[in-house]
Amino acid sequence: MKRKWNFNFTVGLILTSVILLLALVGIFFTPYDPDAMNASLKNTGASLLHPMGCDNFGRDIFSRVMIGIRNTFLISLATVTIGTVVGVLLGAFTGYFGGIVDEIFMRINDALFAFPSILLALVIIGLLGPKTVNVMLALGIAFIPSFARMVRSEYMKQKNLDYVKSARLMGASHFRIMFVHILPNILPVLLSSVMIGFNNAVLAEAGLSYLGIGIQPPDASLGRMLSESQTYLFSNPGNAVFPGLVIVILVLGFALMAEGLTESDH
Amino acid sequence: MRYFVKKFFSMAATLILVSFLVFAAFEVIPGDVAVSMLGTNATESSVAALREELGLNRPFLTRFFEWIGSCLSGDFGESYSYHMPVWEMISEKIPITMTMALMSFLITVAVSIPLGVYLAKHAGSKVDKGMYMTNQVVMAVPSFFMGIIFTYFFGLVLRWFVPGGFVSYDKSLTGFLGYLIFPSIAIALPKIAMTVKLLRSSILTESKKDYVRTAYSRGNNTTEVLYRHVLKNAMIPVITFLGMTFTDMVAGSIVVEQVFNIPGLGRILLTSISNRDYPVVEIIILFIALLIMVVNFAVDILYRYLDPRIREQQSGRKESGKEEK
Repeated sequence: MKRKWNFNFTVGLILTSVILLLALVGIFFTPYDPDAMNASLKNTGASLLHPMGCDNFGRDIFSRVMIGIRNTFLISLATVTIGTVVGVLLGAFTGYFGGIVDEIFMRINDALFAFPSILLALVIIGLLGPKTVNVMLALGIAFIPSFARMVRSEYMKQKNLDYVKSARLMGASHFRIMFVHILPNILPVLLSSVMIGFNNAVLAEAGLSYLGIGIQPPDASLGRMLSESQTYLFSNPGNAVFPGLVIVILVLGFALMAEGLTESDH
Repeated sequence: MRYFVKKFFSMAATLILVSFLVFAAFEVIPGDVAVSMLGTNATESSVAALREELGLNRPFLTRFFEWIGSCLSGDFGESYSYHMPVWEMISEKIPITMTMALMSFLITVAVSIPLGVYLAKHAGSKVDKGMYMTNQVVMAVPSFFMGIIFTYFFGLVLRWFVPGGFVSYDKSLTGFLGYLIFPSIAIALPKIAMTVKLLRSSILTESKKDYVRTAYSRGNNTTEVLYRHVLKNAMIPVITFLGMTFTDMVAGSIVVEQVFNIPGLGRILLTSISNRDYPVVEIIILFIALLIMVVNFAVDILYRYLDPRIREQQSGRKESGKEEK
């Protein structure tokens, strides 16, 4: 059992590190200018000079993938941050205090939760306009309900435990109990749902930019590269395969890490 | 019976709440519909005239209640950009998207339940371990990427279908269903992986409970215990999950429709959002909200059928299943 835990987590960590390393390097250095077009290289396959080939404008796919990972990663990070911070605050207050406010919040939350997050994000971006900041905001808002719900149920479980009662007897304020006493206790659960949330954010971002309402061109994004590749799918499948594969590896890595942390019955 | 009446009213209340939120949301956004329809260099008087014509210059609440009223009487308004009734625009698209969602849902149920039961029965075997990794990988593939892979292999290399060659259901039903098979599988695959994983672990958790030991001690064999006792209980979280999955599939089909060039609800929603054609967007959202509610209602009924305990304690919130994603 111990070995299995290590296996999942290690494989996940390796996959994630490779992808993140690409993104990190991509901030400072890409082999080619990701936006530079070269008509003579249009739709060429993988070669030594261009390890992933070139797209329909003759841009180096490898460089674009590096930038794309960075963009996807930043957006997902912002999304999860918004979702977690607001979700923890909402969930903590409603779960800890309960009462009528809790009832109202949770009704709205449930209604939002039932809505598929990509649809919610789609509508919010439709309202705000397609800009990178708005994508972060929209996805962040769309992810709040699931975090709030999870945190709330954890707080409801924890608030009746002895250590909370003893802390209150010792005169700790509600605020202190909520964030100094209870929060550390729910961190393991929170961490794994943050990782799963991160994955959902990556998938949602890729979906949105595939639909053309995520990151706007010429900025590279994995989803948009996939949608651009479709016209030339037969002559240049690499243009679709590599960005897609990167998404898969990124999501798989995080999923395996989350799996290793939570430990299933495997 | 009292339960159903209560449920009905709470559904109606939620629907009104959602429609109000939707209506209000489109109210507060920056950007004037009239200006965006006429272009930025339109004269002020023509903008004012158009606002008058669309009824945009009346108070918000008046318009909201009028809108609700006409929706209830079957008039869903008129599209700003196409100048045709919204219902006419979406009514022929709904069957396309719904068929696709339904097909992927059926595929998911048909594949994942037997597979999940099988894996739980043979937990720890080579097949189980192999499937575990396969599951993890499949879950990580976004459905639109799966769709692109399908288009390449089955469409362009094997030529099992013509990419982009969508056939409408009123022309040829078999051609229509045939074209939707691959998109449906693309949507279903990640969901199958999730459902299998959930069902497998749910069965294993249930199997450790006391009532299972009792059932064994009364002389039942493994198969009997599994199908008669464990499965019923193990299905409860799975049903919650499947209920949410269905609405996810409707949302998922919006993306996958673009991959396979299917003129469904997704296409209309996207163009309406970019054209700021709010009457259309509002109705589509309301439709999806209604759908979610109906599905949740169906899930509730299934619960009551499966688990008599739930009939007793009506107010209990459903277990969360979405975290499993």
